[in-house]
Amino acid sequence: MPKHELILLKNMTQPGYTGSLKDYEKAGGYQALKKILGKVQPADVTQMVMKSGLRGRGGAGFPTGVKWNFLPKDYKGPKYLCCNADESEPGTFKDRQLMERDPHQVLEGIAIAAYAIGAEHSYIYIRGEFVLGARILEKAVAEARAAGYLGKNVLGSGATIHIYVHRGAGAYICGEETALLESLEGKRGLPRVKPPFPATHGLYNKPTVVNNVETLANLPHIVNRGPEWFAAIGSPPKSTGTRIFCVSGHVKRPGNYEVPMGITLRELIFEHAGGMRSDKKLKAIIPGGASAPFLTEQHLDVKLDFESVAAAGSMLGSGGVTVMEEGTNMVWAALRLMEFFFHESCGKCSPCREGSSWLTQTLRRILAKRGRMEDLETLKQLCQNIAGRTVCAFGDAEVAPIMSTLQYWRHEYEELIREAEAHREKELPMAAARH
Amino acid sequence: MAPTTTVETVRLTIDGVQVTVPKGTLVIEAARQMGVMIPHFCYHPKLTPDANCRMCLVEIEKVPKLQTSCSTPVAEGMVVRTATTVVNEAHKSVLEFILANHPLDCPVCDQGGRCDLQDFSHQYTPTTSRFAETKRIFPKEYFSAAIETQMNRCVQCLRCVRYCDQVMDVNALAPSGRGTMTEIKHFGAHPLDCEFCGGCVQICPVGAITSRLSMYEFRPWMLKRADTTCTYCGDGCQITLQTKGNDLIEVMSAQGAGRNNGDLCARGFFGYHVSTHQDRLLHPLIRRDGKLVQATWEDALEHVAGRAMQLKMAHGGQAFAGLIGSRCTNEDLYVFQKFMRLAIGTNKLDSSARYGHINGVRALRRVQGTHRWTVTFEDIVDAQALLLVGTNITEANPITGLKVKEAVKKHGAALVTIEALQPAVGTISNIANLSAHHFGVHPDRFQTVVLGLIKAVVEEGLVAPPLAQRAPAYVKAIGDAVKALAWPAIEQQTGATSASLKDAARVFAKTSRAVILVGQGVLRQPGGSGLTTTLLDLLLLTGHHGLAGCGVAPLAEENNDQGAVEMGAVAEYLPGPSDLGDHAARQRLAQLWKEEVPQAPGRTLMDMLDEARAGTVKAMFIVGENPAGALPPSAKAGEALEKLDLLVCQELFLTETAALAHVVLPACSYAEKDGTFTNTEGHVQPVRQAIEPLGESRPDWEILSGLSVLLGAPLEYGDAKEITNEIRSLLPGHGLLGAGPKPPRPDDAVVTKYLTEGFRSDLAARYAPAKPADPHAGQLTLLSAQSLFHSGKFSTRAKGLLQIQSTGSLAVNPADAGRLGLADGSQVRLSNQQGHMTTAVKLLDRIPEGLAVFPEHFDQDLRRLLSVAADPQTGVPYCKSTKVKIEKL
Amino acid sequence: MLKEKYGKEIDDILSRYPVKRSALLPLLYLAQREQGYVTEAAMKEIAQILKLTPPQVYETITFYTMLNLKPVGKFHIQVCKSLMCALVGSDQLVGWFHAKLGIKPGETTPDKLFTLSVVECLGACGTGPMMQINDDYYERLTEQKVDQILSDLRKTGTCPLKSGPFMWPEPVGGKK
Repeated sequence: MPKHELILLKNMTQPGYTGSLKDYEKAGGYQALKKILGKVQPADVTQMVMKSGLRGRGGAGFPTGVKWNFLPKDYKGPKYLCCNADESEPGTFKDRQLMERDPHQVLEGIAIAAYAIGAEHSYIYIRGEFVLGARILEKAVAEARAAGYLGKNVLGSGATIHIYVHRGAGAYICGEETALLESLEGKRGLPRVKPPFPATHGLYNKPTVVNNVETLANLPHIVNRGPEWFAAIGSPPKSTGTRIFCVSGHVKRPGNYEVPMGITLRELIFEHAGGMRSDKKLKAIIPGGASAPFLTEQHLDVKLDFESVAAAGSMLGSGGVTVMEEGTNMVWAALRLMEFFFHESCGKCSPCREGSSWLTQTLRRILAKRGRMEDLETLKQLCQNIAGRTVCAFGDAEVAPIMSTLQYWRHEYEELIREAEAHREKELPMAAARH
Repeated sequence: MAPTTTVETVRLTIDGVQVTVPKGTLVIEAARQMGVMIPHFCYHPKLTPDANCRMCLVEIEKVPKLQTSCSTPVAEGMVVRTATTVVNEAHKSVLEFILANHPLDCPVCDQGGRCDLQDFSHQYTPTTSRFAETKRIFPKEYFSAAIETQMNRCVQCLRCVRYCDQVMDVNALAPSGRGTMTEIKHFGAHPLDCEFCGGCVQICPVGAITSRLSMYEFRPWMLKRADTTCTYCGDGCQITLQTKGNDLIEVMSAQGAGRNNGDLCARGFFGYHVSTHQDRLLHPLIRRDGKLVQATWEDALEHVAGRAMQLKMAHGGQAFAGLIGSRCTNEDLYVFQKFMRLAIGTNKLDSSARYGHINGVRALRRVQGTHRWTVTFEDIVDAQALLLVGTNITEANPITGLKVKEAVKKHGAALVTIEALQPAVGTISNIANLSAHHFGVHPDRFQTVVLGLIKAVVEEGLVAPPLAQRAPAYVKAIGDAVKALAWPAIEQQTGATSASLKDAARVFAKTSRAVILVGQGVLRQPGGSGLTTTLLDLLLLTGHHGLAGCGVAPLAEENNDQGAVEMGAVAEYLPGPSDLGDHAARQRLAQLWKEEVPQAPGRTLMDMLDEARAGTVKAMFIVGENPAGALPPSAKAGEALEKLDLLVCQELFLTETAALAHVVLPACSYAEKDGTFTNTEGHVQPVRQAIEPLGESRPDWEILSGLSVLLGAPLEYGDAKEITNEIRSLLPGHGLLGAGPKPPRPDDAVVTKYLTEGFRSDLAARYAPAKPADPHAGQLTLLSAQSLFHSGKFSTRAKGLLQIQSTGSLAVNPADAGRLGLADGSQVRLSNQQGHMTTAVKLLDRIPEGLAVFPEHFDQDLRRLLSVAADPQTGVPYCKSTKVKIEKL
Repeated sequence: MLKEKYGKEIDDILSRYPVKRSALLPLLYLAQREQGYVTEAAMKEIAQILKLTPPQVYETITFYTMLNLKPVGKFHIQVCKSLMCALVGSDQLVGWFHAKLGIKPGETTPDKLFTLSVVECLGACGTGPMMQINDDYYERLTEQKVDQILSDLRKTGTCPLKSGPFMWPEPVGGKK
């Protein structure tokens, strides 16, 4: 049993809870929406969210209220809200649970945000593979509409709130907010050049907010219990609230754990997730999804909040915590992630497009014991030449596995290369003669 | 009035130098303006920045990361550094990435020597690459007969894709796949089917997209270049003919060059092989024993001069007539009319401007006293409202079409279209898709839609008050005329609601910059001049007439239709143009020519043929024109020409007309001579010799000059420049060859005259709704129209264009096809009282129901179905449409 | 023709978006539902409905991994091979399929029943190794489970082992 109160996962852990509208209402659902619609000014809802300190749960951790506040004031045309349900960061699987087990909590969050920013139409962009999740959401939207929580003149307030479920079709990059918008417009999911930002030029070039599922699911609770309550949870002032950490890899009990931000990696892995699955030692941790640099057992006491993880040289990211045990080949692990990034690079920016293929090939060669010592310097420089040189953050993400494994486990690379050199002298007399 | 805008400027520092540029300028452009070239691949001034190649990174003070200069607008006080160590290292590293997968096949790449990747590599990269992995290889795929792709060379900058979308509105190029495996395709494995404008070839910074027409034929530095003007339509695009020896190798148009700003269409880009076609006439021919046989120039000219002298002695100058094609240069046209008037002594001369262009000019002269547009291409781009009437603009005037697209897509202009088109996406762009107020009707109903708009202007109180004050009678007369029209009748005939007409009228009337473009669907159809006049009424009524940036602009179909009129190579005008009877003009000419201009009236094309038939005209000089091929057989042009005692043709090819001649004199094409063309805007542009004349061919003016000497009335010129100078001395301001035309202002006196009295003469006819004869069941209206891929019959000898379109087929609406039981490719028999033909059909959504469109360039059979009727006022022969019965074979 | 068969559904999809092109992915799913892949005829029809050119439809399809341009087997087995699943045995899973079906990734069984693909992360990292077959997820796979899934699919076209609404670890109080 958790030692702390669950917020987002609370309903679904109640015996017999099905996620239906009836169950959700019984658990106090849609009270928050009733509380604000027509009674609290939209701008005050935004203020409330700013005060709560809620930060985006998708990866970048941007303060949610501040993001809303960027929308142009007094804008007359349509504005849009997009719920980013493209959960595609390897190591992350929390949004799926939120949507499939308690869909109305997400919908209520969307409705609150839509009201706050004045969006009559909201789209849930859900990754294409989550077919079941999309069905559950569709059904929940229909229920909520029938009950008057969505549609025109919601709860007699005059507000119009439509929510549509839109399925992606298999592209990691569509989790990037501008790529998501492109994809939602029916195009190839290529990130846009910023500025302009979605707040002014988003979906259909209109002011748009894109928020993650977990971020939005927090809203009913913030409204119901007040921003002060929320701001006191976790590691205030900068990392407030709980996070759902998704633990995967070599642990006894992988899964989603909702905990206040600020508990340590050690607590998460050894208390919540049951520790290592075998008697092997912990070797490496990815603390925030595939885009986050690897950490080591040295970092077990790092607190899981935005600042602490960043200070340790990684990032809290999307909350995907992957644990690797002793014996895991770090070059292999880096290559697996690099292959992912190579497969998912949209191809827009030259450094990322060409770099991901170059890095992947070089890693493969090193792993296949055909590497050379100078490859390591090349790898490092290529990574440096990609990071910060691309339109979106993908470029920074894709170099994280290599940079961090080179930092902590360079000797594993070197061993493979030394073996390669030994072979090479036998197989390639020409190359040997050169030395 | 057009708002006078002061351009806000911004001051910034680039590499230590302070510059002031307009607000909104991109850093890369600001740098270019001061001579700093920031390397780039994906950036192009015509396209919205995509910042994908990441090559143009620069340091901007107070910004932590390097920024792409192509997507960063300047800001006040910004400090930019483009060449620091950090920036140079970044450029090097991006280049290293781009080069990683690029094959080093430069030795066999057509782009080698003019390749951005080569140049930047030369500038930045060490000679060895750290890339030791396997290069990406795409399987080679066939792309199209005209355009080749080599995807291994692609740097994925997507300039081609963005050009095809943003500039052309064609969207034929698909970046497919993702990541490093992204390749440019069309639709799956289908070969490219598009406008073939060649824009993707021109805009590709590397050798990934090249022309198949010249593949492996050259190295760029071996080519000689001549900047000249395209000969295919009135748009007058600047092209660079590139040659090797006497072979034409390829055409390009430099970014920013010419009225076309570097953009071209298929005709301009792929149609250049006509000049060197194997069928070119290389020697003079004289008819002996009924057969045309090769002769020397001396014999041929003497033969012509001898016969002409005989006929002139016997029958006088009035027994002669002359006809010239509007593909000739101004110099040819000018010498031709001077030759006819002085050396022969007749005003019976005409040109192919008679086929329609003259209708527009006559209306402009009548209402506003100009013979040219009062607007320019820039005014089209800057217009807030554009009304297109019967332009078929994509096909007929593709580059003017790009200006319209730019106005709509980039600047949000409101587009109103009255076209024989339906909005539908196809392989070529469709202006109706961009239209905010589209009226898709048959050409014989254009007038009714225009009257509907005027009625809406009157009834909605949109008549400009100053006009109502200035010309109350005019306003009242038109008001009365349109009030007499009933909305239900208009609605029934046009299929448009009065509400939609009123919406369009409001949008048009309430903008401050409005341009009306009038195309061949008006000018080459009965009543063309009258409808153009009525469109001027619309502009007058809404108060736009006379304002800067506003005007009615009749589009020229042939490249020098406008020049033919201005050079006086038409029946009713002297050079200027001035009316034939204009005393002052005659005096000016007499002074310059040192001889009187003949008094007798001119004769239009159709009149000439009648006179030839009647025997009053006994000899004709025909220069680059082919009435026997252009007019339908029912016009019996051939028979008329056969009756002549002397028919002299100056031609490139043995056309239907030339085949009837007594003497055929081989003429040069535009590629072999100097001179000028005047485009549809009235801008005079240079024609420059690119290759030596083929065989013994000579420029038309030179042939006429030679003849004039033998006829004892020497018109001698050393070169084309001398003729240009003579034209300029006669017409001050002609051909100043600046960057753009200086449009004339309407002549107030003429406008006043029109508003007080001039409008009345044909008011009733112009303001009566058209009475289109509805086709009987099973009948369609057949339209012989311009294709995007050809121009007259001329281009049907261009091998590049024939690869794109080599035959004609009948385009019909799928609904009609359904009713007639036709599928794509079905063979059909078309028939009417005139005759019959068989052809294949092609189903096209953009063809309105009830219409069947056939490309005029392949009308050998189709012409048998057409009849011809000359306009009683302007003499324009109308022979573009008829009713036909269609049966499936 | 999709329009004849799904007219109402298409209208409903179109009604959700102010700009037609947004309906592209939903319509492509609809087309793929028909034959397991998007045919050329479907691409052309969708282009026409949305006022796009066929190349615009094509370029979009090729960007997304879930849209097929070629026929696939009746059951499309997609095994996640990304790091998190690889840590807990996804390579082994691929091996089992190879042994049981005789096909390697990218291949289809001769009876056109199964196509095997290895794919990148499917967002079920805590319950690997896992796979998706058509619309359904199968998680925490073992060789025994794979055997049952293949046999059930062959027999009945579906399998009770497919995942329901996701929750892991399972709530206290046992299974649903």
